[in-house]
Amino acid sequence: MKMIAVMVVAAAALLMWAAPALAHHSFAAQYDASKHIELKGVVTKVEWTNPHARFYIDQTSDTGDVTSWNFEMASPNVLVRNGWKRTSLKIGDEVTVTGYLARTGPPAGPKMAIAESLTASDGRKMFASSATDLSR
Amino acid sequence: MTSRAAAFGLIAILMATAPLSAQTRLGGNIRANPPSGPVPRLADGKPDMTGVWLGGLPVGDISTALPKGETMPIRPEWKKKMDGFQANDDPQAHCLPLPPPRFTPYPWRMVVTPTHTFFLYEMYDYRQVFMDGRTHPSGDDLDPTWKGHSIGRWDGDALVIDTVGYNDKTWFDNKGWPHSDKMHLTERYTRTDLGTMKVEMTIDDPVAYTKPFTLTGAARLMPNEELVEYVCDENNQDAPYLQGAKP
Repeated sequence: MKMIAVMVVAAAALLMWAAPALAHHSFAAQYDASKHIELKGVVTKVEWTNPHARFYIDQTSDTGDVTSWNFEMASPNVLVRNGWKRTSLKIGDEVTVTGYLARTGPPAGPKMAIAESLTASDGRKMFASSATDLSR
Repeated sequence: MTSRAAAFGLIAILMATAPLSAQTRLGGNIRANPPSGPVPRLADGKPDMTGVWLGGLPVGDISTALPKGETMPIRPEWKKKMDGFQANDDPQAHCLPLPPPRFTPYPWRMVVTPTHTFFLYEMYDYRQVFMDGRTHPSGDDLDPTWKGHSIGRWDGDALVIDTVGYNDKTWFDNKGWPHSDKMHLTERYTRTDLGTMKVEMTIDDPVAYTKPFTLTGAARLMPNEELVEYVCDENNQDAPYLQGAKP
């Protein structure tokens, strides 16, 4: 419980500094603030890398179609200061993600987006990036 | 426009104008206010600059660090050049150097030795300052480089750094204030308190600006913190997809 409280408070505190924390390029240059998305999926890959950590999820529709996503997060140095470990997110984890679509991306492969909030299957909210969900 | 987009836009505006004090209320172990106390001193009486520091000048728009009422004295043709910059022109988008006066949201260290001062920036580079009393090279011997040629000295309790020999490829902030290769930067770092480092930077670039101007800010100490590795190039997927003008 304390860990969740730390993460939530940390995320709220980091909100004060949201835009500069996304330092290596501007949000608007890559993501569309008018294209908010929310989906559930299963983690297929986690890249604990700079300049952005990323997680990939497979979203399965009611009809069984699978869409793959490439969600950008904050860099590892920011994540570790907001309660994360390298192993906090694992392949196979079922997560609910909210975020914003990329304006453009590679012609094939997972759809690019930025993660705004990330909720584990046990309800644990995890800090994702500076594009923080304001309704939290 | 959806309410989320409007709210995000509002937050973006708030972020752009957030005062420096907001930076002390960050996540994790850097939420607390910086510690207060006397300035630590070395055996020779000089201020001890040791520590992991966060902040300095604004990351988004450096003009907010000008004295109240002043605007950036940029020449019209350079303002036009700046207005034409695209997000993809930002050296930061390509993991290229970010020398002062540019700051990032990530911590840095200052390591002062008798012969050199080194700045180590978590994101993501180092800088060396010669402290041995040498002068700058000139003419053909002054190679234009990303970080320039820096010489440093003490002026009372302030560490003063003088740099020339820049190339013209770097920006002052995310907004993209530019400079020419004739920029002459003077930095003053003064540890005013255990937890606070005053930062003043004077830019003298007659090619791009009509007169010198001074930016003032402060960094705060992050106790019990270390720099975390940040290898920017290892998985830089975004660069091909950045569109449009910079912020």
